[in-house]
Amino acid sequence: MRLLVVEDDLAIQGFLRRALVEAGYQLDTASDAKTAELKALEGSHDAFIIDLGLPDMDGLDLIARCRAQGSSTPVLILSARRSVDERVRGLEQGGDDYLTKPFALAELLARLRNLLRRSSAPQNDSVRLQAADLQLDLVRHEARRGDQLLQLTPQEFSLLEYLCRNTGRVVTRTMILDHVWRMRIDTATNIVDVHIYRLRNKVDLKTSEPLIHTIRGVGYVLKHA
Amino acid sequence: MRRVLRTSAAWRLSIWTTLAFALGTGLAFSIVYFLVARGIQERSDAWLRGEARVLAQVSADTPRDRLYRRVVTEVVELATREVPDERNEQGQSLNAVFFLEQDPNNSDGPLWVGPADEGPFLSAIQQAKPVAGAPQPIKVDSWPTTFQVVALYENGRTIYLGLSNRGAQHLLGKLTRRFLMVWGGTVLMGFLISYLSARRTLFRVERITETVARIGTEDLCERLPAQAKSDEISRLSETFNRMLDRIQSSVNQLRCVTDAVAHDLKSPITSIRGTLESALCNEPKEMWCDSIGEAIEGLDRLLHVLNTTLDVAEAQAGALRMDRSTVDLSDVVRKLVDLYQPAMAERHHEVLVDLENHAAVDADPGLLNRVVSNLLENELTHLPAGHRIAIRLHSYNGSTKLVIEDDGPGFPPDVSNRAFERFVKGKHSPGHGLGLAFVGAVVHAHGGAVSISDRPTGGAVITVSLPTSILQPA
Repeated sequence: MRLLVVEDDLAIQGFLRRALVEAGYQLDTASDAKTAELKALEGSHDAFIIDLGLPDMDGLDLIARCRAQGSSTPVLILSARRSVDERVRGLEQGGDDYLTKPFALAELLARLRNLLRRSSAPQNDSVRLQAADLQLDLVRHEARRGDQLLQLTPQEFSLLEYLCRNTGRVVTRTMILDHVWRMRIDTATNIVDVHIYRLRNKVDLKTSEPLIHTIRGVGYVLKHA
Repeated sequence: MRRVLRTSAAWRLSIWTTLAFALGTGLAFSIVYFLVARGIQERSDAWLRGEARVLAQVSADTPRDRLYRRVVTEVVELATREVPDERNEQGQSLNAVFFLEQDPNNSDGPLWVGPADEGPFLSAIQQAKPVAGAPQPIKVDSWPTTFQVVALYENGRTIYLGLSNRGAQHLLGKLTRRFLMVWGGTVLMGFLISYLSARRTLFRVERITETVARIGTEDLCERLPAQAKSDEISRLSETFNRMLDRIQSSVNQLRCVTDAVAHDLKSPITSIRGTLESALCNEPKEMWCDSIGEAIEGLDRLLHVLNTTLDVAEAQAGALRMDRSTVDLSDVVRKLVDLYQPAMAERHHEVLVDLENHAAVDADPGLLNRVVSNLLENELTHLPAGHRIAIRLHSYNGSTKLVIEDDGPGFPPDVSNRAFERFVKGKHSPGHGLGLAFVGAVVHAHGGAVSISDRPTGGAVITVSLPTSILQPA
């Protein structure tokens, strides 16, 4: 997978480069719209990551120019503006996505994955999820750890399902609220942690290997050794 | 000086009012003048016609004998006495009257009664040849004014009776002169009065301008002096003072907010920096994870404060981007209570929920979520462990009320009347004083109201009311 990162702030460009290469992507970078346009037209990228505040052109205009030249590469927009303007919302409906700064790297990676999946293969709609000896039946809404059926509330099941779908990948509290509760709220309390704690008490039995791990400062990950 | 006058509103104002006043009175006088002149003319014409007819009768009835001339002359003189004897300053009679009878059968020549020198009269009449019965003005040489002359033709004789217009003209002239004197005086006085009163009024405006200019550049605490009279200008200065009050309170508030933001940002920054620095200097690399995690959590809290501050500022400035639709508030509350329930239980709070179904309101769903979550977050943060929280939702009379009540210690007295302002919080409160400010601002932006109170039995009550939607939620 090859990405083009267009970002004029070299510090941000640097950390994006490190993180994305670490995540297994190949990377081109550009610090201004002119260079970006030239590189984009070579046409070998699977996604663009474009900052809106470029020195020589508005990021949205850059996207418009690429689209006008027939490029259909999906775009992840980075914006320092807090309120997202209507034009960006419009792009979101067209299949592109946006993220406001500052963002958690985990969320950037998750959105990027979504974007790439949307543009290539259809989503894998399996009815069963499995991680180690944890099994989820999405049709019957049943979760088992080994042979044991777990007594989960619907909410806990959705939370576990979300963690399971992202096995091995860190999800932030914001992502959990967004995907499991479908709410974009900003909390300074431990509401998500308490849900995870309850879920963990049911899923990670004393006798088995713990699956749900806390990554301090970032979020949670479901993985097995 | 000329420039000052030209730019002075008092000057312009009085010029225009004076001009209008002068024109108006001038017009009124012209109408009076015209009516008076016509009245005098009609009266003298009526006298002339009547008298001419009488004299013609007398002349016809009197036998043509020796006494004829004497009789007619006496009758004429008698008649002319009817004209009031007006004299001018030199004692000259103004009502010169003449009578002329021309009879071709009379061998003594025309009969003349009137001013001594009859020559110019005879030639003037000869020239004018007045029409019978209709008085008309005739100019006589060596007389300053015209004569109104009526002619009658009877049995071959012609009778002329003339009356000098001098009296009428003198009267009208006097009228005009008097008017002009009075008019000039009045106009001048009117100008002075309007100029002085306009200047007096505008001088007060000028003083306001000076004070405001000084306030603008120097001291925001200064106020316009209270005006003695209650008029437009005193209202102007009251309005100015009110505006200044608001500006000053905004400036003070801004200062408080800036201080509070600085404080709220500085302490987490200090702790983050300290954590990282101590990890770098004192901890082995394998132990850094915890410190880094702690630092990121600190940064997230920082971001939370920053975002909420900006949100509240935006909401209070009325700059919120709202995408309204009909939302069932009971759904929102139920979902959020489910989300917060475990954390509440963790704090040993008991949450009682009494929600009316289908409480439709017109609101931005995202903002509404945040309003309700802020209220719950407020309970979670401020209520000491082990209390009871009651959440009720009901619609009544076009208003949907969400009441959140607890049996905790209630609002601290220094907070209760300002809880919805930014950065207002209890002394020992762990929050930043932004949550309720955000709730207040957003609810106001939706046309609703928020209030807080203490329960008589102890505990805090927060009531949010929003206008009930007339539509059903989609």
